[in-house]
Amino acid sequence: MINFDALGDAFTLLSTSWSAWVFVIPGLLVGLFFGSMPGISITMAMAIFLPMTLYMDFLPAIIFLTSIYTGAGFGGSVPAVLMNIPGTSSAVATTFDGYPMSRQGRHNEALGLALSSSVIGTLSSYILLMFIIEPVSGVVLKMGPLELFVVAIWGLMLLGSLAGDSIPRGLLAGTFGLLLGTVGMNSAGYIRGTMGIPWLLDGVPTIPAMMGLLAASQLLNLVNTRHLIEDEDLRKISLKKILNGFRESFQFKTIIARGAIIGVIIGSIPGVGSSISNLLSYSEAKRNAPDGDTFGKGNPKGVIAAESANSSSEGGAMATMLALGIPGGGATAILLAAFAMHNIVGGPSFIANNQDIVYAIIISNFAQALLLLVIGLGFVYFASYIVRVPMRYLIPSVLVVALFGSYAIDGTSSGPITLAVFAVIGWAMVRYNYPVAAAVVGLILGNLVEGNLLRTYQISGGDPAYALERPGALFIMALMVISFSLSAFSKMRRKRKEGAAMGAS
Amino acid sequence: MQKTGKIKVQWGHLALLAVLGTAILAYLLDARATSLRTNNLILVQPMSILALILLLMVLPQCFQRVPPAGAEEDHAALPATPKETPIELAKIGVVTGAFILLAFFMEQIGFDIAVFSFLVLGIFVCGERNWIANIAFSAVFTALLIYGYGAIIPFPFPLAVL
Repeated sequence: MINFDALGDAFTLLSTSWSAWVFVIPGLLVGLFFGSMPGISITMAMAIFLPMTLYMDFLPAIIFLTSIYTGAGFGGSVPAVLMNIPGTSSAVATTFDGYPMSRQGRHNEALGLALSSSVIGTLSSYILLMFIIEPVSGVVLKMGPLELFVVAIWGLMLLGSLAGDSIPRGLLAGTFGLLLGTVGMNSAGYIRGTMGIPWLLDGVPTIPAMMGLLAASQLLNLVNTRHLIEDEDLRKISLKKILNGFRESFQFKTIIARGAIIGVIIGSIPGVGSSISNLLSYSEAKRNAPDGDTFGKGNPKGVIAAESANSSSEGGAMATMLALGIPGGGATAILLAAFAMHNIVGGPSFIANNQDIVYAIIISNFAQALLLLVIGLGFVYFASYIVRVPMRYLIPSVLVVALFGSYAIDGTSSGPITLAVFAVIGWAMVRYNYPVAAAVVGLILGNLVEGNLLRTYQISGGDPAYALERPGALFIMALMVISFSLSAFSKMRRKRKEGAAMGAS
Repeated sequence: MQKTGKIKVQWGHLALLAVLGTAILAYLLDARATSLRTNNLILVQPMSILALILLLMVLPQCFQRVPPAGAEEDHAALPATPKETPIELAKIGVVTGAFILLAFFMEQIGFDIAVFSFLVLGIFVCGERNWIANIAFSAVFTALLIYGYGAIIPFPFPLAVL
């Protein structure tokens, strides 16, 4: 199950390089800071800091970004507990019982529960990842260009159909992103869509485009927000009570384990991730608990279920990204872009040939989870002040930082111009409920999808019957059709139900 | 079934679809003008056609029937519509416009002057009415950014004053 040679190399890699560790604490702090600010998402924080990783080595860069990811996971739960406002969409279910606990004066206990569940969730998902990497790498290496093409399209379809309110809007966002990803010269040497602009020959600059779509667009949406939180009372933080909450969580091992499993599975499906897993885990915990009727009224089990699931989704999303090179959402899309920035192609060949690096990333995440314990405890003292940062200063400042970041990539104005154009497109897409993450993933996968389709065409000589010789591809296609039909059906049923409820009221 | 109420057009959504549709169509035509060989069009052509079909499916959602006063609204049928006031929308427009100008012209103007001006304007539009605080923060933040980023990246920033 575990390749011990590669694991040993991973330890050597981490123990001989200080640079791999030096960015963990700053990454966690950045994640906690941005995660605790409602309206500023995990992906936004990662996108803003992505250009900075260009000047780091590959492993420290990935560790820095995953530290932001880990920190933001818990950061989002702090305002959820203290102020009933989820810092990120993954902390929605945390508010259901976290805030009622706060109202009862049990906010320290709730924070302790959230912190321990987050840490255990992250740890368990990466332990699982450590065990499945070796067998998964054997399977994914057998995938040819047709299978990779179908998997990428499946991921995009899921992302387009599950994220957002409307399937056509989701799929339009995904196909638009995919087309953008093919601009420039393709692998057969044809140049399209450059409008005579020389820097588009290599394609749309991915990182500034992602920063525009994921970060700058959301900042423009916040222009009319004065403070994130304006009139909530400050609550007194007690370390002793937080630690009591921390200990209390160990009484609910089954809920943590169920939350972690739900998180890993849901996290590995493109388009779903932690924003759904926390809700699903919460409803499962409520359904199975003998005191289910007290959920929503300050039941600690609700906080544990939500937090263990949202933090373990990270490991699930990382598994899909590392094994298949398919990002399931904005955060893993940014990680994949960081791979590309260091001239490393994520996916089957990476996982097979660089298992030491994969294990190093996993081990570093164990350390991140444990460090989060300490840093998270200190952070809750400041969190209630952070959400009071005036947005009138924050928005223009972060926009300018993003612009500098995009300029830092190659020292030309191609980055800032791309960032600004995609900020406007992203703002309009968010305004009309298009899932921007689908466009981002499409943009990243465009080249890969076209390259694999082209290779399939060349191998098969254009004969569609070639697909019949690839049972793996047929199986994935069948899964794709079934999952898409199911998600379309459930979305239609939900809308009909909502329509009926509106009519009845 | 009797349908009452006026049709409300989401002009912004319509504009977004027009931009996306024009971009997709222009890209398809450009790709076809480059070469009609399969190696060129294998993905771009079918994806462009699919995107245009999806766009036509979304198009009717730009026209929403507003129920007459007193009638129940059918919110479930369509995604929520944005609800900013014209002033709020104008503020977003000003910050966005200034951001685009900054991105396009900061090399010509000089990063220091361009960034400082954007910050002053942006902070004012976002609600700060204390000019001293605004100008002091913008000046300090601009200097910090230019010297901070200048220390870590190998490219020089075109500057006018600093």
